[in-house]
This record gives sequence, C-alpha cells and structure tokens, in this order.
Amino acid sequence: MKRIGFLVNPVAGMGGTVGLKGTDDLYDEAVKRGANPGSWRRALATISRIQDCGFHFVTCSGLMGEDILVKAGIPGYDVVYRAPDRSFSSDTRAACQRFLEAGVEMILFCGGDGTARDLFDVVLGKIPILGIPAGVKMYSSVFAVSPGAAADVMKSLSPACGVSPKRIPIRETEVVDVDEEAYRHGELKTRLYGFAKSPYLPGLVQSTKQVFEERDEERAKEAISRFLAEVVRGTPEILYILGPGTTTGSIAQQCGIKKTLLGFDAMKECRLVGTDLNEKDMLGLLDREEKVRLVVSIIGAQGSVLGRGTQQVSPAVLKRIGVDNIIIIATPHKLQETPVLFFDTGDPDLDGSFGDFVSVISGYRVAQRKPVARNRT
Amino acid sequence: MMQVWGAECIPSPSTKTRSGRAVLEKDPETTGSLGIAISEAVEDAASHPNTNYSLGSVLNHVCIHQSITGLESREQMAQVDDYPDIVIGCVGGGSNFAGISSPFAGDKLTGKHPDVEIIGAEPASCPTLTRGLYTYDFGDVAGLTPLLKMFTLGHDFVPPSIHAGGLRYHGDSPIVSRLVHDGVIRAVSYHQSEVFDAGQIFARTEGIIIAPETSHAVRAAIDEAIKCRQTGEAKSILFNCSGHGHFDMSAYDAFYAGQLVDYEYPEQLIRDSLSRLPKIGQ
Repeated sequence: MKRIGFLVNPVAGMGGTVGLKGTDDLYDEAVKRGANPGSWRRALATISRIQDCGFHFVTCSGLMGEDILVKAGIPGYDVVYRAPDRSFSSDTRAACQRFLEAGVEMILFCGGDGTARDLFDVVLGKIPILGIPAGVKMYSSVFAVSPGAAADVMKSLSPACGVSPKRIPIRETEVVDVDEEAYRHGELKTRLYGFAKSPYLPGLVQSTKQVFEERDEERAKEAISRFLAEVVRGTPEILYILGPGTTTGSIAQQCGIKKTLLGFDAMKECRLVGTDLNEKDMLGLLDREEKVRLVVSIIGAQGSVLGRGTQQVSPAVLKRIGVDNIIIIATPHKLQETPVLFFDTGDPDLDGSFGDFVSVISGYRVAQRKPVARNRT
Repeated sequence: MMQVWGAECIPSPSTKTRSGRAVLEKDPETTGSLGIAISEAVEDAASHPNTNYSLGSVLNHVCIHQSITGLESREQMAQVDDYPDIVIGCVGGGSNFAGISSPFAGDKLTGKHPDVEIIGAEPASCPTLTRGLYTYDFGDVAGLTPLLKMFTLGHDFVPPSIHAGGLRYHGDSPIVSRLVHDGVIRAVSYHQSEVFDAGQIFARTEGIIIAPETSHAVRAAIDEAIKCRQTGEAKSILFNCSGHGHFDMSAYDAFYAGQLVDYEYPEQLIRDSLSRLPKIGQ
C-alpha cells in the first residue's frame, strides 16, 4: 500500500484529562476546564517513525493532518480538505469522502471511538482503517495498542521501511462505542456500531473491549473488593484513588460508598473525599496527602491498564503517586482473556518503569503475574 | 485409587462437617485447601468416639518419621565418598522437606558440616517461608488445632488452586520454620510456569515425569547447577525427587496449552489487611 489517507481529530482526548467521558459534544466544557489539544503529539509519534516508508499521504490542512506531516518532515503530500479552525465530526466525514475520491488505499487516523464511528460512516468496509489511539474511549478494535504499535503495523505494510514486508491480514473488526444511554443509568455497556476492515498484527492491534457478566465474575469481583476494602480499612493514613469500572465500584460499595462508574473518585478511611476527579484535582490531593494509592482495573481483552479512558491520571499524576503505589485489579476471567497487558500513558519512560511483569489482584489475597508488552510507545 | 481399596472418598470441603459447611457457605466455589481438610478431619475425629486423627504433615512426629529419607540419602552419598554441598526439597507443610533436610541441618548445627547449604523451594502463590510472618497460628482454617509457632500466611488464607496441591498450606512445620528463622535453611519461591519448565527439562533429561510439587525442588536444583556453571564451581547437589507426575497429566496439558496461571502473593497489601491472627505473646 502506498497511498494513505491521514486524518487527525485535533480535539480527541481533550475531555479525558479534565474528567469528561468524551470530547465530541463537550469541547467547550473541556476547554473551560483547562484542557489543551494533545492528539497531534500521538499522531506525530506514529508519523515520525514511518517517514521513510515511502507512503504518499493524502490529508487535511492544519492540525487535522498537514501540520503533523510537516513537523515529521514528510516530503510531498496532497491536501484534499481544508479544515476549519475548530473541527467537528462533520469535518471528519467530509475529509474521508475526499480521501476516497482521491483514491487512497487505506486511512490512518488519530482519535477515539467517536472518530472511528465518523470514519466508518463514510468508509464502511471499502478500504482498511487503522487508528492511532488518542481519544478518551477506545473500545473499538480498529486501534493499534499505542502510537508506536501503529507505526509498527504501518511499517509492516511497506517494503521500503528496511524490514521484511510481512503478509498482513486485513480482518473485519468491530467499531463500537459506550452505550451512552446505559451509561447515564450507571451501566457500562459497549454496543456494536459496525464492522470495519483493519490491518491486524497480533499484540499490536487491540481487541474489542469485552464486558464479562457471568456469575463467576460477580463472585470474583466480590472477593477482590472484600480484600481491598480490608486493605483500605487497615491503612487509614493512605488516600485511595479508585479508577473507572465496576470492580473498583465494588470496592467502594464494600466501604459503604457509591462511586461514579467511569470517573476517578478518592476515598480515605472509607470516606469519600472527591468524585470524578480531573488531573488538577488529583495533583491538588497529592499536594495535601502524604501517601496515595491508585486502584485501576484493566480493560478486558484489550489489556490496557493506563491510557484508555484514564487520561485524568496523567504522567505527572502517576509519577507523584509512584509505580509501587498503583494497584491493578482484574477478575480471573478477564485475565484469562487478556494474555498481555500494556501501558500507554503518553510517557514512554514511565510506561517502561512498570517492568516486564506486573502483579494483578485477582481475588481475595490473591494476585496473578501478567506480562507487559514492551516497546509499544 | 482410594475407592479401589475400599475407602469412601469425600472431597473437601464437604457438607458433612460444621467447618466444611461454614467454608462452603462463605464461598460455594472454594477450591479447598490442606488447612480446610485438616479442620474437617479434626472435627470428624472429635465427634466420633471410635476415630482418632494424626496430622499427616507439619508436626514433629511426622518430620521425624520422614527423616529416614535424609538419613538414607546421607548414607548413599557416603557410599560414593561424597557429601552434598547443597540439599534441596520442596516445601508445603514441611514434612517432606524436613525428611530430606533435617539430618543435614543436624550436621550443620553440630559443626560437622557447617557449610552445607539447605534450600526449601515453595510456590510463589503460597510463599509461607519467604513471605509469611513468624508467629503463633492455628494449623487449620477453623482454628481447631493447638497454636503452633511457625511461619504463616494466616490460617484463613486459602491458597490459589495451583497444580502443586500438596504445597497449598498456609503454615509450615515449626521445626522447619525455626531453622529458616535462624538462618540454617534458606527458602526460595517459584511461579508455576517456571517449575513446569523445570519438570519438562527433567523429564527430557532423565526420562522421569515428576509431580508439580517435586518440580519446585528440581527448579531450585537446576538454578543452583546453572550458578555453578557460571562460577566454575563443582558442587554436589542433593535434591529429593519426592513424587512422579503420572497423576498430573492434566496439569502438564495446561502447561503445554499455555493455560498455567502464575499466581502471586500480594504481601504488602495482605499485611495491610491482616488483623485476624490470634493476638498472643510471641
């Protein structure tokens, strides 16, 4: 493949750092809360690694594509869509239409699930699409596990990259999003939006998030939460920040607290200290508290621990908390379906500091050792 | 096999004892443990006048009985004019390990062979000697046995269901515990996948398929041999090949299918949560 459509959603992920659950309809609120566009950095991390691969890019003007290609030193590209200063989902769809008319063989895009849906509306299954993850929610399997992994997949598609070109299977992959209606009622459900085509390399492209609802899952969650509730009660001097998910919610419940489903909430001595915290809130708590532990669950099947829907816990927050104070939890079933975990915090050094293996609490006083994917940032 | 010879075999925890029912009520899907089975056996013996119970592991009389293994090993090594530099066994409740190691521990303590190194290999998922507390605790889950001073993970700790079922015990022999505490014995722990890897090496080298429990000792023996290769030292390594693995084929199946789970013991978090040990003087 040589002719590649390249599109960046400049506002993708902005909501995450300020505690919003998406950005598309909440751009103004995200800006009001102090969020800055950051997806271009993740797009640049991919593009700068494939500049010598001989791809000819077809793109949009400004931050929707051209600026990143210029920063990466990509010579020669076509701008087929003039992007406004502030882009909307209609711009994504219009740009994709122009890409198809310009004869691209594949689209490399940077964004989240919302961006993937906009692409899918236009592209359907006509050509493959590959996502550089930069959104708040990324439950679709069209995304690479990190910007570095997206570059690796792209390199595999080009004989000019200095590596042996592999036969990359193009598979049908799910485009999904969180069911917003269910979410408003406090339930996390992913819904299938459609089937796109995407290049697939095992371990580099993520699987669709699975929500396990079996009876065993509930029992396992109860065991994990019972154990960690005991830990919380046994350490009244420590502030606990609980990440999104039903398992972390179950810990709060054991402590007699109701936590938000997709937000980060803080508690100490089983008392709620803050809900739906953004990066600034967490840094404020870290200024005040002597010791803080973060409890996060993994995203089922994908294996993401930090970096998917957890942008509030920025590298700055994570460094202040300390890697040793991050407690990862997951039920045995979820771990069984997730052979490898990965960290994609946006700071490769920080991601590397988690080591080759991490311990994941999987039951009452029980942990499992899981391997961590390397060199994907 | 028990049924073949006329016994009725009842999986623990059962509904036939109060302690078994209590465990099942708390967790109907519990994997059980040696500690739970001991509670049921003690209760059954206490409630039937024609039944007595003798703990089959952990306690001094069992360790003394098992020490025939170490005594004979020492004699056999003497027949080839050798004495081990390193003695290795796997550890669960400690009786098998005490069997192979206690005569050599005696030699070390009396100064006959002060340099002999004695290593106990245990599961990382149930790391009693490497991560436990040295204190008084019950030998069973229900708290029916006398208190024993030993390394313990807490009598209500139900170890994860690793394939080396014989090593899933929360405590350890008081004799072995004291020797570890005093530095006479060194303990190491291993994850499941690395012990099965050792079992495979052993089978392909020696032609014997060994039990998952034994594979812990073999893992430690291989590691010590590799150290010797690296340092250029020649050492005699004695390890107890305590059991074959012919009843463990499903475990080897899981190993080859890549389905083994490497369980771990989250030590710091457990210490943070642990408040159930009986509070008495050390």
